[in-house]
Amino acid sequence: MAAVVFSKVRKEFGSFTAVQGLDLSIDEGEFVSLLGPSGCGKTTTLRMLAGLEFPTSGEISIGDRVVNDVAPGQRDIAMVFQSYALYPHMSVAQNIAYPLKKRGVASAERTAQVNATAELLQLTELLGRKPRQLSGGQQQRVALGRALVRDPKVFLLDEPLSNLDAKLRGYMRVELVELHRRLGRTMVYVTHDQLEAMTMSDRIAVMEGGELQQFAAPTEVYAAPANRFVASFIGTPGMTLMDGELSKAGASWTFKADGISLPVGPLGDNAAAGPACLGVRPEHVLIGEGPIKGIIQVVEKTGHENIVVLELSGGHRLTGRVPAPQSWNPGETVSLSFDADNAHVFGPGAKGPRLNRPTETNVTDMPSPVLQKALP
Amino acid sequence: MPTVKKIAFNIFAWGIVLAVAFPLFWMLVTSVKPGFELFRRPPTMLPETWTFEHYWHLIQRTNFLTYFRNSVILSTATTLVVVAIGTLGAYSLVRFKFRGRESLAFLVLFTYLLPSVVLIIPLYLLLVNIGLSNTIFSLVIAYTTFALPYALWLLRSFMAGIPEDLESAALVDGASRLGAFWDVILPQLLPGIISTALFTFILSWNEYLYALVLVNSDSARPLTTGVMNMLVSSFNIEWSLLMAASVMMSVPLIIAFAFLQSYLTRGFGAGGVKG
Repeated sequence: MAAVVFSKVRKEFGSFTAVQGLDLSIDEGEFVSLLGPSGCGKTTTLRMLAGLEFPTSGEISIGDRVVNDVAPGQRDIAMVFQSYALYPHMSVAQNIAYPLKKRGVASAERTAQVNATAELLQLTELLGRKPRQLSGGQQQRVALGRALVRDPKVFLLDEPLSNLDAKLRGYMRVELVELHRRLGRTMVYVTHDQLEAMTMSDRIAVMEGGELQQFAAPTEVYAAPANRFVASFIGTPGMTLMDGELSKAGASWTFKADGISLPVGPLGDNAAAGPACLGVRPEHVLIGEGPIKGIIQVVEKTGHENIVVLELSGGHRLTGRVPAPQSWNPGETVSLSFDADNAHVFGPGAKGPRLNRPTETNVTDMPSPVLQKALP
Repeated sequence: MPTVKKIAFNIFAWGIVLAVAFPLFWMLVTSVKPGFELFRRPPTMLPETWTFEHYWHLIQRTNFLTYFRNSVILSTATTLVVVAIGTLGAYSLVRFKFRGRESLAFLVLFTYLLPSVVLIIPLYLLLVNIGLSNTIFSLVIAYTTFALPYALWLLRSFMAGIPEDLESAALVDGASRLGAFWDVILPQLLPGIISTALFTFILSWNEYLYALVLVNSDSARPLTTGVMNMLVSSFNIEWSLLMAASVMMSVPLIIAFAFLQSYLTRGFGAGGVKG
């Protein structure tokens, strides 16, 4: 059964439409990330689910209950805010106990639950302190504790890691994933950080301009982006996108741009000859041999691999990724080719749809996500 | 050279402090001098004979305590009304989005564009018409009209500094809107409320003009007009009694100031930055 369903949900602020006709169905126990650049409507979507904003039209259900007119406190949800929103005048224990108190849980029971939650999150030592006496990471855990203590049906997390330093963020990512596994609860996670979304989620809902662009597993979003926007947004360094022409000869398709002519794999029924866009992930740019010539512009050394930025004769820039030992000097001319099996073809326009036939994509061919657990 | 500068600055600063403090000191000294010592030349800096007879006289043989009670009721009631309306008003001006919100906030300040002398007669006629003249309540209304705009702006700048997320968190945690306001917003607003309350209390405690025009029965007179009426006439000023009354009038404010002054300066700071 679906835990959360958005059905044709629309939200307008005056003349500005923040969310347009969102349809989204999140399964019980699933970890779903709402991912997109700022202003894409992801936080508005989460706030509507929390009951802090009301949809202009459409329906939101949690479990089998439509919650459009249900107050936030009655929705059986808990939320972690980006700013943590800890009550400054209350101690850590009082902060965690507050949702229980508001639900009329008896004092003794409350204390027991607060202690259990504090133990789970290693907060026992800090229960008597005020939020301002805590570090960022500790405040974050208290905010999490306040959400956990109630054992709600759905957890909502609004960029909870964005105020932490990089190392702590990596640590908390793993903590959250473990917590999700242990609790088995539905979690809806808003982020603009694709690394967080890719590493933690069961499925990612990519949003842009108030519209859902793609809702799929991280591997699929990476390997088979639904349109040009998703292709450009997911992946670091980003996919190289080249505008050109698509032509058809018999059953085979060819993409042409700037003197490059590349046979592309079988395309779907929505493909048509004419303007199109070719997308190539950095790991599918094969540097060293091939019919295409490029001049090395920049080599970024990250340690285990090198990111190479090249310029083609027509002025197109593209990014390649090679293992660390391989390197070139800026200004060098190299031969290169594309891995045609993994080339993506999109229709024209900023949100041009994917034209590849769905089965042609090799979903396993993706760099493994960075999941390192290091103590802060 | 820096030492000379430092000393010069200290002398200057202490000069100002003395200039401000001397009248207060003289008030205190005069109130405990017997009447015959008041106009002696050269004046005595400290009384040769200490006496509290003026205080006893005021308390036992005049209406002083009635006036004092009136002032306490008046100032407390005004403070409560202003803080209650101001807090809720500031909340709505900050949290709710409605058409004309900013215009409304500015319109409230219009009261300050008119000198109070201009407003006093219309207000008097209004209060007479609704049958409230000559009561303490009429002064509560009058003082509220000119304390509220400032209070509203002061509280608004405090309220704007409270993150909206705190309230959202309380709502998600199961509080009603009023519950969230009570549990989370009010404790955060406390410094603002205290400085607003202090400001309003001082304003109502010291006000003279409106009290003079709106109230002329002894049972409703506050301290300011009551004491003047009782001790200052065209032919005579009861200096000793006046000074004793002044000391007793100042005591509540001095006590309040001593405890709450840090809030007050913080309040004026907040008003200065955002208001």
